Amino acid sequence: MNLSKLNKTLQKQFGGRVRASAENGCVVLRGELDDWADVVAACQTAAVKNSTVHVLNDIVCTGPADAPMRLPADSDASLEGDAPDVLVIGGGVSGASIARELTRWQLDVLLTEKEADLALQASGRNDGEVHPGIDLGKGSLKHKYIRPANRMYDRVCKELDVPFRRVGQYVVFKKRALFPLIALYAFWRKHHDGIEDTKLLSAKELLAREPNLAPDTAFALYNPSAGCVCPYGLTIAYAENAVQNGARVRLNTAVLGMTVEDGRITAVRTNRGTLHPKLVINAAGVFAEEIAKMANDRFYSIHPRRGTNSILDKKAGAWLQSIASVKELSVHGKTHSKGGGLLHTVHGNLLAGPDAVETREKENVATHPESIRTVFDRQKGTMPALSERDIITYFTGVRAPTFEEDYVIEPGRNTENLIHCAGIQSPGLTTAPAVAEDVAQMAVEMLQKTRPVEKNPAFNPIRKGVPVLREMSDEDRDAMIRQNPDYGEIVCRCEEISKGEILDALRAPICVPTLDGIKKRVRPGMGRCQGGFCSPLVTKIIADFLKTEPTAVRKSSAASVINWRTTKDGEGGENA
Amino acid sequence: MTASFYDVIVIGGGPAGLAAAISAHDEGAKVLLLEREARLGGILKQCIHDGFGLLRFGEKLSGPEYAERFIDELRARQIEARTLTFVTKIDRPDDGAFCVHAVDRGGVWTVTAKALVLATGCRERTAKQVSIHGTRPAGVFTAGTAQHFTNLLGLMPTRRCVILGSGDIGLIMARRLTLEGAEVLGVYEVKPTPSGLTRNLHQCLYDYDIPLYLSHTVTRVFGADRLEGVEIAEVDDRMRPIPGTERRVDCDALILSVGLIPENELAESLGVRLDGRTRGPVCDNDCMTSVDGVFCCGNALHVNDLVDYVSQNGEQAGRAAARYAPHARTLVELQPSDDLLCLVPQTLDLTGGKDPLTVYFRSRGEENACTLEITVDGRAVFSKKYAFLRPPEMEQLTLQTADWGLTGQSVVRFELKRQKEVRT
Amino acid sequence: MKELVCIVCPRGCRMQLAEENGRLTVTGNGCKRGAAFAESETRDPRRTICTTVRTAFPGVPVLPVRVSAEIPKSRIFDVMREINRTTVRTRLGRGDVVLENVLGLGVDVVATSSVLKETDA
Repeated sequence: MNLSKLNKTLQKQFGGRVRASAENGCVVLRGELDDWADVVAACQTAAVKNSTVHVLNDIVCTGPADAPMRLPADSDASLEGDAPDVLVIGGGVSGASIARELTRWQLDVLLTEKEADLALQASGRNDGEVHPGIDLGKGSLKHKYIRPANRMYDRVCKELDVPFRRVGQYVVFKKRALFPLIALYAFWRKHHDGIEDTKLLSAKELLAREPNLAPDTAFALYNPSAGCVCPYGLTIAYAENAVQNGARVRLNTAVLGMTVEDGRITAVRTNRGTLHPKLVINAAGVFAEEIAKMANDRFYSIHPRRGTNSILDKKAGAWLQSIASVKELSVHGKTHSKGGGLLHTVHGNLLAGPDAVETREKENVATHPESIRTVFDRQKGTMPALSERDIITYFTGVRAPTFEEDYVIEPGRNTENLIHCAGIQSPGLTTAPAVAEDVAQMAVEMLQKTRPVEKNPAFNPIRKGVPVLREMSDEDRDAMIRQNPDYGEIVCRCEEISKGEILDALRAPICVPTLDGIKKRVRPGMGRCQGGFCSPLVTKIIADFLKTEPTAVRKSSAASVINWRTTKDGEGGENA
Repeated sequence: MTASFYDVIVIGGGPAGLAAAISAHDEGAKVLLLEREARLGGILKQCIHDGFGLLRFGEKLSGPEYAERFIDELRARQIEARTLTFVTKIDRPDDGAFCVHAVDRGGVWTVTAKALVLATGCRERTAKQVSIHGTRPAGVFTAGTAQHFTNLLGLMPTRRCVILGSGDIGLIMARRLTLEGAEVLGVYEVKPTPSGLTRNLHQCLYDYDIPLYLSHTVTRVFGADRLEGVEIAEVDDRMRPIPGTERRVDCDALILSVGLIPENELAESLGVRLDGRTRGPVCDNDCMTSVDGVFCCGNALHVNDLVDYVSQNGEQAGRAAARYAPHARTLVELQPSDDLLCLVPQTLDLTGGKDPLTVYFRSRGEENACTLEITVDGRAVFSKKYAFLRPPEMEQLTLQTADWGLTGQSVVRFELKRQKEVRT
Repeated sequence: MKELVCIVCPRGCRMQLAEENGRLTVTGNGCKRGAAFAESETRDPRRTICTTVRTAFPGVPVLPVRVSAEIPKSRIFDVMREINRTTVRTRLGRGDVVLENVLGLGVDVVATSSVLKETDA
């Protein structure tokens, strides 16, 4: 779209309150709007899908402002003067996988994450689907990475000891009349876009495999290469393997500002001191635009989009062994609101979701009943037995798309020692392994301009996770318990987690001694009682491990106090 | 292990399991009790308030006192009990004896038994199960979790809280936290009537000036790290929040007492049929489930409000399990009308002895001056007048069924009749 | 006429109280204990308290206790304060006295569990 035509459209839509101009290879939108939805609409009007000419959103939105970025409660000088070769900003799956790939080289790698744990934002708040790439158009970065990355999953998950299952995906159609169209589509995807394994199934074939799907199904598109993975498990595993290979991971560490001189980042200010990295990788998710701005290299805008998933009891998990969703072809082309799908998680639960709702609030992961309703209304069409009654929990994540809806994976345009890994949204989890390899390669090449960078001869791709005793045979489990009796003491009854597994998680390369940290790593509290029975026990185990008072144990961040004091805080003088 | 074959294995060492183990032993059975926690007593360990045992012992005991009386009995009989022992699965090779797989600090082992008593208790409904939305801060606790922190670990999970649900544990915790110096801003109940026992409303709330708000619910929580407030809304007669009635209450914790759900994962793995009303197994007058040789009692069978009934039910199950010999049952279904929230047992085995039938029921709503009428094939065989029936208060009834003329084809209905209807 | 709910047993009888010339008549009570409760509740309301007391044993940080007989309702928080100032340093059992004649009220604070006898913590 040329600029004057665009401005005409904007004029018509927003009555002259928004104008576009071309600046430094970007389309900059300025003006004033009351409603965030209008801001998004204006930017979407200006954006060209998958283009590398990005829309920069400088529209002033007079509506309710987003809260300022959450920052760690404490600060110190532990990183003052630190000069890593590479500073990776962001402990999501992108940052963690990039850090790990960088440790294949002899580099001092530091990853910072402002939250109390890895994968606390989008990487830990998605459905865990490893996508087949059926719906991605050629020419996008998403498409470039999806097939190679999908194929990498078996190896990467084996190396990192992360549960992954290639369960396959069924896109269910109810209108028989669509068959010729979908058959054509599948043929085109297969031969033009390299989705080599996609195929069509009759309703009979489908229902033989997944008997609980809707009986009024006409046919389905089957993508056997789709799978599911534990998204936070993968992120944590990548980061742990990075640490095992020499990288440093600092949680509760936020980037607050940068000094850029002569097109180079010379200093990065954090709440733990000022660093002087040789190269910075921006993997800051919803805050990637802010980081880019600090680095004087802002050429894209992020518009947060939240999605809510529901987790259902394992009893419901047994109703579906794969990934399925009903597809209704809509005439509205450019809509991102979707009703999600159903997925049998690697842990045996059923997951329903996500929806997609534009939001101004980058970190507001509050859930709303409408989100659940939207997904369930839609997915009952996929599987009639689906019921809100089986929900054990739900969570919201905020995606970080650009208006062009493609990734930004490239060196800084104005700033030399910077690489962006931004605009990562679905299928960002799937593509992470391939993107990480590319970004690491890009980083090494940039660093090699000033000095040689050698391969790390000690690099070990293998990371052992905490053993999962409930999945072992009685014989193996018995042998494990004989070596370590703590494996025989069950703490979480719903998920059958032993004290030994919890202690293993506390002794892992990245120790996050909080209720949520332990829950993410070994699952106590993930089950149907949601920690009702085990959270006091886990609190006690963490306190004993840290040799501290139980009141010092937190749910997650430093401010997430669980118990304020002991019940008997007064004088304890008198004896009995 | 001293032996690997038992007549009866009891799973769960709370009040139901303790009573079952003792009565099974007294019937001459060789009994093994398995408990997953470090100590016997189940949830009573943390129920330090009094009021237990009034029916059974004629005294108001605290939870630990009540449990320890049974534990003493168990020990006096030298009944084998293994704690910190978790049952991972149960199978039944060739449909014969049950093979129970368990783990403890020594390893994985199996034991077999002719009969099983499932006394696995219940769990609490969580915030997500009552559709509370918003953020996920620290400070949302079920009443039982708050009770565990407070009474077993001596920790204070709140300074100023709101309690959702007027179930007994919620009311008890309101008083308990107040005694330890916390401020309880109010108890909110979505239903138009309280869920807990009347005396608990008085001795736990009104004694301490804690307000009870009926037909109100919590719709969302606020706070990024620790809970900072909750949104309260009034609800309509279908218990849906009324738009426009929302208001925020600042507090640091939300404590939930919104219902208990029988824990029946093991039962289901054995193919036991569950009752939609109780969410526990369908059982007969001997507490035997739909699977021969599998008995169930206590809160795993249906949620009780008095531990005295739990013990009684446990004893019944233990005794029956000890006497268990495979036989073809002739089961008659006991059908509750819609006025009844639940009815246990759900079936009556006609091949059993002539023991009186003990039934437990709850009314669905508050009833004044009504009659419970039992009919067999439309013929009235029993009726009893009640001055009032309240859903939180379970009624127990012992019936002589010998002269009801029951056959395998009989239809036995339990119905509530308002007094007026009876007269006309 | 005053309404009172009996809290002696789970039944929770709703009683009607009438006082004439200093004589109390109670109706609606299901048993004698109800009448006695109504009498006491009118003249001198009393309650039991059940709570915990701190111990010196890390495995059992608090021990459940109760008062051996009801105490005046108005003294509940005074007794709580006394109990919360106390630390149990010996392995007391169920029924053992933790605090004798607490605040001179003529009642003892007694342990309601033998948990300290069972554990090595």
